[in-house]
Amino acid sequence: MRRLPVYFLLDTSGSMNGEPIQALNNALSGMINNLRSDAQAAETLWLSIITFDREVKEVAPLTALDAFQLPEIICPESGPTFTGKALEVLYAKVQQEIRKGTPEQKGDWRPLLFIFTDGKPSDLQLYAEMIPRIRSLNFASIVGCAAGHAADTTKLRELTSDVVHLDTADSNTLKQYFQWLSDVIEQGNKSAGTTDNVTLPPPPSEVHIVI
Amino acid sequence: MLDPKLYIQKLLEHRGVAITARKQKLLDDFISSSAIHQAAVTILEQQTYIMKHWRIRDKIDDIMSARIVIPNATVGKPYSAVIDYDQYGLTDLVYDEWTGLEELGLQFDKETKTISGIPAVSGELKLSFHFKVVGESESDVPNIKTITLIVNPDPKSLWKNIPSDRDAIFWKPDDAMAAGALGDRHIVVASNRGRSHENNGSFRDDDFAFKYIENTGWSVVAVSDGAGSYPLSRRGSQLACSAVVEYFEHLIDLQALQDLESKIRQYENGKDDTLWKDIAVSAKQQLYKAVLHAHHTIKTEATQLHTAAPELFDNPRAKSLLDYFHATLIFTLFKKFDSGYIILTFGVGDCPIAIVNRDHTDTVLLNKLDVGEFGGGTRFVTQSDIYQPDASPLTMAERFNVYYTEDFSYLFLMTDGIYDAKFMVEANLEKHEQWEAFIADLEGDNDEHALVDLDPGNEQIAAELASWMDFWSPGNHDDRTLAIIY
Repeated sequence: MRRLPVYFLLDTSGSMNGEPIQALNNALSGMINNLRSDAQAAETLWLSIITFDREVKEVAPLTALDAFQLPEIICPESGPTFTGKALEVLYAKVQQEIRKGTPEQKGDWRPLLFIFTDGKPSDLQLYAEMIPRIRSLNFASIVGCAAGHAADTTKLRELTSDVVHLDTADSNTLKQYFQWLSDVIEQGNKSAGTTDNVTLPPPPSEVHIVI
Repeated sequence: MLDPKLYIQKLLEHRGVAITARKQKLLDDFISSSAIHQAAVTILEQQTYIMKHWRIRDKIDDIMSARIVIPNATVGKPYSAVIDYDQYGLTDLVYDEWTGLEELGLQFDKETKTISGIPAVSGELKLSFHFKVVGESESDVPNIKTITLIVNPDPKSLWKNIPSDRDAIFWKPDDAMAAGALGDRHIVVASNRGRSHENNGSFRDDDFAFKYIENTGWSVVAVSDGAGSYPLSRRGSQLACSAVVEYFEHLIDLQALQDLESKIRQYENGKDDTLWKDIAVSAKQQLYKAVLHAHHTIKTEATQLHTAAPELFDNPRAKSLLDYFHATLIFTLFKKFDSGYIILTFGVGDCPIAIVNRDHTDTVLLNKLDVGEFGGGTRFVTQSDIYQPDASPLTMAERFNVYYTEDFSYLFLMTDGIYDAKFMVEANLEKHEQWEAFIADLEGDNDEHALVDLDPGNEQIAAELASWMDFWSPGNHDDRTLAIIY
């Protein structure tokens, strides 16, 4: 069976502490419950969650949705945002995990990547180095999300043309955003050419597409 | 318990009271006095009491905060999960009971510490683990720990069947089928809209067309799969198939065809290799014109539609008008001659054409498939790159095949909706035993006991095929089209 691998890169730096991290946990849980009742996702979706603050952690390794259990996402009280390091870890994971189609093996659907941040990378040099490597992985879609006034959309724009901005990281906004992501995931299941990107469905009003 | 005498000595020491040798006798007498001795005993008993209760509370807290992970279940699927009590520190228990299981269709076996059964409801379900640890008494109320069990819905129950919009442009029936004679052979074909399309009310992207062309004696069968992510691909597949049939019926250069046939007749006598090569070249030239005709037919319609209804072409990612109509295409043109059949094929995309010999001892895959590194990465008749001289991974010439056989039992054309589910990977299409299994499956060797009676006299044959094609295969819910020439 063809898998649709979806990677989440979540910012858990100090600024997420408190209500935002709570909201993020709730929104993720809501999204996963949504997907469990989606016919297509229920059979094909595989999820991986990597968090980044001063450390990068794979809190949920790539797992089929039907076996997936969402861990609680926690964050330290303060500290830097090593987005570049997170991309480096992601790069290695994707290299290792994605199955390419061969005459003997069913290839995965092209993977999706969702990056969520409420700040900007602290490791700018590594971040810049990782951008072309991440692009070379041929994701069907990379959606960058900058939440709150301190979040930097320009750095995300260097990585992907699909960047959205959320005014706040409160519980309702995050819920809307992650609900929209489940729609994006459902699009990822459709047959597409080898290099075309997934067309994003129209987002809810809380989610602003950054042009 | 500590010796009361030792306790008093330690107490004095702790408080900084030095007992000199001279005071030793006094201390002995002091400790022996019954009131003091009793006080020390009482203190020690209270300490024991405190420690014992601390340990109970601590143990309960450890159990309450342990993250017990039990595997997810699925509605209707037998479930069994062993709870490793030692791993989660569920030890030193004097009482343990699980509740909330029966109403979900599950039970807990104390001997094997196993939750098992067939879950009846889906969701994030809460199970309760009631327990008492060593030291707690009969009268104590059990502690309750809540554990989440995720039960996935039955995947089959999630699929909806929403009819496609009949008023939409290029609407076509959600399912189609046909059967009949094809020259000296017979054909049955069915094309079913996939569950992924039924689920959101979108259209069947697959299509087919076939024809026995009386004036030339050739038969043509075409199958096409429109690309799911392109909005007008249902029309692309339809046009691709009909254009191929139209070409061989009305547009083919009859003189060239007659020349080809006379070479074939000549070949039948001597089986000359050089002549065969010549036949192959001429045949491919004829097929190539049909492919071009399909491409141009779609291009013409795309251009006209763009003039009439530009609003339909609103995808910023489409690079050409043809992209909206992306469709794969396989077809065969065949005819019986005196000594056997000449079978010509073409393919672009990931749909196979295969022929099984008369004695069912060999199967040949007649076309090369375009399968990308990633799912969905295929090639389309609507792409201009496939016509380029340096086209990769297949050149145009590699897309054709010219095949001769004295006789055959089956000639199959199918879309990936069938082959993904039944053959899994491309390599299996090259294996005769996989085709034998496929034929056995058509004859009823499957979970649903669905079968197709491949008998020209069977009036239900097309309906049987359509119903056989409704098989359940997890993750494979694309449109399915299968043409069998028998």
